[in-house]
Order: sequence, then C-alpha cells, then structure tokens
Amino acid sequence: MKIAVCLKAVPSTTADIRPAADGKSLQLGGVEMLVNPYDEYALEAALKLREAFPGSTILVVTAGGDEAAKCVLHAFSVGADTAVQIKAAGLSARGAALAVAAALKEFAPDIVLCGRQAIDDDQWEFPGALAELLDAPHLTAVTALSVAADGKKLSCKRRFNRDEQTLEATLPAVVSCDKGLNEPRAATLKGRLDAKKKLPALKTPADLGLDPAALNSSLRLDTYSPPPQKTPGKTIALAAPEAARELVRWLREDAKAI
Amino acid sequence: MKILIVAEFAAGALKKSAHELSSAARAVDAGVELHALVLGPGAGAVASELASWGVGTIHIGESGFETYAPLRWTRAIAGVSKSLNPDAILMGAGALSRDIAGRVALRAGGSLASDCTGLSSGGGFKIVRPTHAGRVTVGASFSGPGPLVATLRANAFSIVKPAQPGAGVVVNLSAPLETADLRALVTASVQAPGTRPELAEAAIVVSGGRSLGSAENFKLIYDLCDVLGAAPGASRAAVDAGYAPHSMQVGQTGKTVNPALYIACGISGAIQHLAGMRTSKTIVAINKDPNVPIFKIADCAVVGDMFQILPILTDEFRKLLK
Repeated sequence: MKIAVCLKAVPSTTADIRPAADGKSLQLGGVEMLVNPYDEYALEAALKLREAFPGSTILVVTAGGDEAAKCVLHAFSVGADTAVQIKAAGLSARGAALAVAAALKEFAPDIVLCGRQAIDDDQWEFPGALAELLDAPHLTAVTALSVAADGKKLSCKRRFNRDEQTLEATLPAVVSCDKGLNEPRAATLKGRLDAKKKLPALKTPADLGLDPAALNSSLRLDTYSPPPQKTPGKTIALAAPEAARELVRWLREDAKAI
Repeated sequence: MKILIVAEFAAGALKKSAHELSSAARAVDAGVELHALVLGPGAGAVASELASWGVGTIHIGESGFETYAPLRWTRAIAGVSKSLNPDAILMGAGALSRDIAGRVALRAGGSLASDCTGLSSGGGFKIVRPTHAGRVTVGASFSGPGPLVATLRANAFSIVKPAQPGAGVVVNLSAPLETADLRALVTASVQAPGTRPELAEAAIVVSGGRSLGSAENFKLIYDLCDVLGAAPGASRAAVDAGYAPHSMQVGQTGKTVNPALYIACGISGAIQHLAGMRTSKTIVAINKDPNVPIFKIADCAVVGDMFQILPILTDEFRKLLK
C-alpha cells in the first residue's frame, strides 16, 4: 500500500501563547513546536498499516515554516520512508490542503492519514478539504481502523454525537484520527540517529505548480486577543455540609445558575 | 442578506443548535431571507417548528438520506447553496459540521470559519472565534468569494424567537443517488446508553479529575449530573488514568465546552483543561488545595473535600429540584 501521513507542527499544549502587544499577531518566538498530537495517531496508524501490509511505503507530508522540520525528523525517527516538506509559512487549513493535495498527486496514495484537527487553529477543515481536492471519501475522527486484506476497503469506528458509528469506505480515502485509535510509539535512539541521515524533498508552492497567492485564506485575520479574563470570585471554606448548602444557595440566589 | 442554516433534529424536534442558528441569522440581519435545510427521515416534521423560528423556505431531504454518508450530505448542502447563492451557510459546531463543513465550504466555493462565538455583518461578515483551544480569540472578516460557512459554538449565541413566524414554504429536495457519494457510509450505529446530554451542547457540565481515584468514584460525578440534567466531563489526567472515557475529556485534546455552569471537582486546572472550559458562564471549582490554578478563574471556589461535599450537594439538589 501507498500510505501518506500529513503532519503539522503546532505550539506545545503547555506553551504560553499570547497575542502581540498590537493585537495583530501571535507571539510565537521561543514557543516550543511539536507534532500536532492528533497527527501522532495518524503516524502510528500508518506504521501499523505498513506492518500489516509488508512492502508498503509511508510518505510523510508537512507544510509550514522552519518548524515543519520537526515533523520530518520525528516521522523519520519512527520509521517513515520518505517525506515532502512544503516551505510555506503561515498557511491556513485550506491553503495547507491545496499544497498537500498537489504534493500527493505523483505518489497517488491508497490511504491518507491525518489528525482530526490541528490544535492551533482548531478549524477541523484540513481532512475534508484535502479529500475534496483528491476526490476521495473522508472519514472523520476515527477511533478504530482496519483495512481489508485485499487493500481495497476500510472499516472505521467513531463517536458521532450520541452514536457509536461503524463506517465502511472504499480506498483511496482520507482518514482523520482521534485519540483512542492507538498509542503512538516513541522513537528509539537508533531511530533518532538514522533519522538524521534521511532528508525530505523540499518543495516550494511554485515547485508544486501553485500560485502562492492562491494559498491565502479569504478569511482576513484582523485581531488577536487574550480570552476574557475572569477575576477570582467568591470563596467558600466551611465544613462539608455547610459548604454544600452555601454553594446551593449561591448557585440559586447569587449566580442564578440553577 | 440571504442565509442558509443546516438544521439538525432528533426525535421529531429541532435540536437547540437550530434555535441558535436561526436566532444568530436574524441577529446578523433582521431582514434576512432565511432558508433552512433539513436532512434525514422525518425531516418534514420539523418544518412548522422552523417556520416559528422565522424560516422563510425549508428545504427537506428525506428519501435517500436514511443512512448517513458524508459525501451525500455534502452534495445536498453544496447543491442547495449553488442554487440559492447565500451569503452564509450556518451549521452548529458538532459532529456533522466537523465531518463535512470543510468539504462543503470548498465545494460551495466559499470559506470555513469553525466554532464561531461571534458573528455580525458590516461590509461582509465579522467573525469571532477562539483558537489554540480558547487561549486566543481571533477577530476575522470575510467578504467573499462565495458563502461564508460558519459553524457556531453551542451556548454562544442568544436564542430569540421572532415576533412573526416565517412563511415556512416547504421545498422537497430532488437529490438523485450518486453511487460515488456512498464511497464512505455508516454501516452500523449504536446509540450510547443513557439519557445524559451531549458534553459539547450541555447547559451544565460537572467534571471530575484524577483525584477521584477510580472509575467507581466517578459515580459521585454521575449522580450530581443526573440530578442537574448535566453532562459529565473529565480532566485529561482522569481519562489517561482510565477513570473515564475519552469522549468525556474536556480540554485541548478533548472537547471544548461552553456551558452556562461548569462545576470542576478535584481538578487542579492544567492550562490545557482551562483552555477547554474557560468561556463557561459560571465556573464552580471544588478542591481541597486552596492554591490550585482553577480557583483563579472560578466564580465560586469551594475549598474542601469533594468526597464529602458532592454527596450532600447531590442530596440538596435532589430535594430542591424534584
């Protein structure tokens, strides 16, 4: 099988992310960038598929500024075969889908795996948009995945509102991965050393036949602000029965929340 | 202005998100030409309810929409959009929009803004949406091309019934089955047991942390939820410890919630957790440690032992609310 995995470098979940003083951008200097956590499930799923289908190849695609190199290094260190790194900083989810679709054309994957959402822009847009561009079906936020022995169909499970759904799809398909699908492996020391010897194919949007302007979002991002700050409120420090009753009173009479 | 809302329903009634979408559309433009699209068996039954929310034209697709297939839903929404050419398509931020909104936006020739908490007009649209799991609020503007596809976060838009109902003209969708649209489809669907509300939509959320100590002790959370009609949530630490399923996780790698009331029990308030719940209208935190970070954003900080306080709290509310 030809397996493609899409990875994005995002600020670490513990990073202190603040809008710049003028509110026109984010301060990301010095912020640690990591592989998007949901993309790690996609990468692990790819490695498992290659184990199940010997002779498969894993191509990793990432797009972004210099931080994208983190994704390439991590993917090689756990055993990805080849990688394409698209040099295009500040892409929107739509822009990334356009760039990745162009980069995947030649590889013609049987399955494309990615995370359900990038935890920086939280758009939930990339997988569906990529599938549309590749004219493939897509399956969102799956927690179980199996590919039939003939390599032509796949079956997935996911939570959809209150329902536990089973989905079937024909390949090629785009699958976005959720927590619970697998436990991503850590790189071994040997893997890390080997990874340094591998290099990604570096591409610019122009190399892929794309007009960089066409990758810009038509949503104009005007302002960045911190979330509304809350001031600490009331404190209840009483013995349990009194504390519970005072909380009930406060919720009903002061907060009018119940 | 012309706006198309994708209305979802269950058990013969509109979901709350449909009330929010229609209210948001009328708040954007009081004179809006409001269309609704409803897909699935029994969709026609909510037509009169939609009219009461100010909808002028209701596009119904029942036949061929018995089994959920993302591409079939995408084609239906994009198709109605192509014929109406609306300024915006609004969907509730939930499982359906997370599945197909990106695809719909591309096919309809427009752009997607997910999980909006604000939407207004003025030389196009002004959008407010949180990013980085709520640690940043972005203000954006959109003036085409194509429709704005906006998904609206639950509990972020006020629900206002119009003084006058809409015309409620029903149009049945002619949507011949395309086999290519069945390349991915649901083959089995089992409803999760229980009657608790969905976490992302609930008006009240009660969450537990790892200090509950076991899956069995989460009963303290579930009991209070059932008395309050609340949805149970959990911190990542509690999920990773196996005390609660991932579907209950609140925070950056779980669900973002925006309820009217959030009660955090034994949760210290890691930055990733706060990111997922900080926009809640009223926040109550119960914790033994007076120095936990969650107390900094709590409207009411209860310093004490949740193992003692929760059963009493549940009893008090059981008496009051029965």
